[in-house]
Amino acid sequence: MNETKTAALEEEIMSIKNVRVPSSPQDVHPNQPGGASVHLETQNLHVWFGKRLILEKVNLAFPVNSVTALIGPSGCGKSTFIRVLNRMHEFIPGAALAGRVLYDGQDMYDAAVDPVNIRTKVGMVFQKPNPFPTMSIKDNVLSGLKLAQMKYENPEEIVRTCLERASLWNEVKDRLDASASSLSGGQQQRLCIARSLAVSPKVLLMDEPCSALDPGSTRRIEETIREISSDMTVVIVTHNMAQAQRVSDYTAFFLSEDGAPAQVVENAKTDEIFKKPKDSRTNDYVNGLFG
Amino acid sequence: MSTTNNLTDLEGADHLKDSPTPRYFGREKSRTRSDKAFSGSVVVAALSSLFILVAILFYLATSSWPALQKEGFSFITGSTWIGGLDDPSLQVFQIWPMLYGSFLNALLAIIFAVPISVLLAIFIVFIAPKKIARALTIIVDILAAIPSGIIGIWGFLVFTPVAEGWARLIHQYLGSIPIFVNNQDQFTRSPFITAWVLGIMIVPIITVVAREVLAQTPQDLLDAARGLGGSLWGTVRMVALPHARGGIVGGVMLGLGRALGETVAIYFVLNLIFERVNYYRILDPEGGSVASMIIAKFGEATPEEIQALLGAGLVLFILTLIVNLIANWIVARSARERLV
Amino acid sequence: MTIVQEKPSEEIFKEPQYPWKKANPSTSLTNSIIVVLPISVFALSFFLTDFPGALLFIVVFLPVQILVAIFATLWGISKKRVGDAVLSVLSLVAFSLVIAMMGSVLFSVFSRGLPAISLSFITQNNTYISPTTELDFGGVGHALLGTLMVVAIGMIISVPLGIASAIYITDMKGRLAGFVRFMVQAMSGVPSIVAGLFILAAFILTDVSGFSALTGGLAYSILMLPTVARTAEEVLKLVPKDLRDAAIALGSSRARVIMKIVLPTARTGILTAVILGVARVIGETAPLLLTTSNTNGTNLNPFVDAVSTIPVYIFQFLGSGYPTAINRSWGAAFVLLTTVAILFAIARIVERTTKKG
Repeated sequence: MNETKTAALEEEIMSIKNVRVPSSPQDVHPNQPGGASVHLETQNLHVWFGKRLILEKVNLAFPVNSVTALIGPSGCGKSTFIRVLNRMHEFIPGAALAGRVLYDGQDMYDAAVDPVNIRTKVGMVFQKPNPFPTMSIKDNVLSGLKLAQMKYENPEEIVRTCLERASLWNEVKDRLDASASSLSGGQQQRLCIARSLAVSPKVLLMDEPCSALDPGSTRRIEETIREISSDMTVVIVTHNMAQAQRVSDYTAFFLSEDGAPAQVVENAKTDEIFKKPKDSRTNDYVNGLFG
Repeated sequence: MSTTNNLTDLEGADHLKDSPTPRYFGREKSRTRSDKAFSGSVVVAALSSLFILVAILFYLATSSWPALQKEGFSFITGSTWIGGLDDPSLQVFQIWPMLYGSFLNALLAIIFAVPISVLLAIFIVFIAPKKIARALTIIVDILAAIPSGIIGIWGFLVFTPVAEGWARLIHQYLGSIPIFVNNQDQFTRSPFITAWVLGIMIVPIITVVAREVLAQTPQDLLDAARGLGGSLWGTVRMVALPHARGGIVGGVMLGLGRALGETVAIYFVLNLIFERVNYYRILDPEGGSVASMIIAKFGEATPEEIQALLGAGLVLFILTLIVNLIANWIVARSARERLV
Repeated sequence: MTIVQEKPSEEIFKEPQYPWKKANPSTSLTNSIIVVLPISVFALSFFLTDFPGALLFIVVFLPVQILVAIFATLWGISKKRVGDAVLSVLSLVAFSLVIAMMGSVLFSVFSRGLPAISLSFITQNNTYISPTTELDFGGVGHALLGTLMVVAIGMIISVPLGIASAIYITDMKGRLAGFVRFMVQAMSGVPSIVAGLFILAAFILTDVSGFSALTGGLAYSILMLPTVARTAEEVLKLVPKDLRDAAIALGSSRARVIMKIVLPTARTGILTAVILGVARVIGETAPLLLTTSNTNGTNLNPFVDAVSTIPVYIFQFLGSGYPTAINRSWGAAFVLLTTVAILFAIARIVERTTKKG
């Protein structure tokens, strides 16, 4: 009697899918410290351009309210990867992917999911600042809400809050109706951040947001990133390793060797990656030996 | 155009300006007579457009001057046309009904053509799969190449019966609205039908321009809009269309110019009433068109009538010139703005 | 008791996949409803009621289609995408309208014009032909010839002038280059009838010439010039700067650079420009009515006496009302359309062979 009971219990437990129970300390996903829930993760992700495999076997998880930096030599697919995370990848002709990308536990590439919806929850800031030139600063901040067709009250408050979080409020508070193209590059990028924040995403993706900017703006944006990470998950692609160390809690290192599809060589807490990397290639990269 | 002998002054040789070309070499290459003759003739030929435009203005103005002078301003404001009399001094030539009719036809054609063209352009650029988009672009180009004489014969023999049916229906159900009034129980050869025929002629013109401008929407603005969670319509409405607005308006004005100048198609499809203005009853079989009037009256015109017809041509020329210049200015200005 | 850990699948994917293109069962069902429902409602109301098709299309089909699309979107995807659904429906309607109209034009020219075509139709002229004569007699031979003459004269005038304008703008970059461009653009807006009136006033009424192929050609050249100039300008811009620089460095005079290097390189592009110029202008009736007038016989002299042309031929028989005459018009229209099609095909072939070569 006891055996059948055990067997039945085992069967029942085995039928529970997606049970993530660490069977040993080494199997703990590095970016999943002690049971913190995860908004966004990829499972066995493969990405193609046309017939060419760009990325393979990418398993990354992004813990809630943390900042993850993606580093690696240029051309190894980091920007492509980040566009997979908010379903912008599929706009590129010839794009293809396999594997799962889970948002709140659900595969965002499932046929029943509306990509437009995903993009309101997973926002993106691009390398080159792209505020809408025909709109004023104020309208730019609100444009995200209008595009996403989200209802809102108190537009002035929203504008102010978002611009403050993006560290832009003091510089533009007197000229909210000025055209967005009258701003400098750094200011425009902060405006883009404010615009993305207005939609209240849970995840913010940033594709080398500071690479075209001066050090002052870079510093301000890094402060913004640290500040907003208290209530959203940030994933930032960066070539600047000092920036990665300043800004991120976790780091993932992408590498493509000899033209083979890129993989994630290592991901861990930022301190570990930079001070005690486990893989020799990571060690070489972060010490500037290549890339 | 340079008049020096310096080699580096030749146009197209900008980058040679800083090269250490010895001066003596330049001096040797003197401007020969044949070179000067060549440049001279090219310049004259290039300015031929100017000469022609001026000549058109000149000849139309001078040859129609007697008629215009006689009528004065009422040439374009009056509605009487009396020709073919033995006593030339009793003849009256006034083109207001035709002038108004040209505007009305063009306006209606724009109203029909613009939504169709813009929707088609949006479809090609944002909705259609790549292969269909390519095919459609070619189809629109083909449509633009169909000679207007052929659209005229089709409009007259094939389309009019169909559109007449539409007109009857509209009158049947909406006849209480003033513009759909019809007092003659005759629905053919009306401004309504003319507008459709004109519309099909200008759809390709507007579509080609709109498509090109929409396709040039900067990719990073589209990325921004999509990244914020914009749907297709949202992106088009808030990003693509505002950006393309100037170009589209320019394209519409080009279509307007074409519609104002169209002759033969309107001649067959519209019933020209020379002395009565049809202001708004678009289902009535009466209308006007300056260009078609010229054709209609030319065959049996007295010399004075021909002068008047030339005057009408002058008015048409000036009108379309202004529209065309405004159109090109708008297109050029919006192109400059888009580069910012 | 071991608890099984569900690891992410370790499957290696070999082939690219496109998950966003998948349709799940609910979208397939929705798509079928979107297509079938409005059509069925429309068909039913068409066959069961007396209302004409056009009315039913506007009042029944279109609203039902839009409503179905809206509901399908609300139910199947999300509220935010309703705008997309309506946009798709409307733009598809616009697309169908344009295709239907254009198809109608081409179809009617083809179906009504082809029966009129015969060898005699293409070669004979119209002397002794009345509007009621059967189509076994008479034809467009004289009109074809006339069109040829008018177009040739138009080309002789407009091609050199157009190319010269293009050269001036691109190669010589004279001070007035912008001005010339502006003038060319202004010319492109001149209505065809104004061109005809101008030639009438300047040449015919002044007795310098009369109704002839020459005056028709002059009128056509005014209309062709902007097209030729604009296309030639684009083509000349494509000639690499290095080519010009090399010639200059070798000591060529400007004239030689242009005539011997630039123009020959742009040869095929210029040919395309000319073909496009001709195609644009070949159906214009209005200027010919005022300049070449018309005749029924064959006139081989381009300088004296009226000539018949295809567009005028169409015009001539269209207004008579007799079925035989109208068939003639359709036949001539068919010839015209075929000519334009051949011209475009030649332009395309020329383009392709240059790309390969």
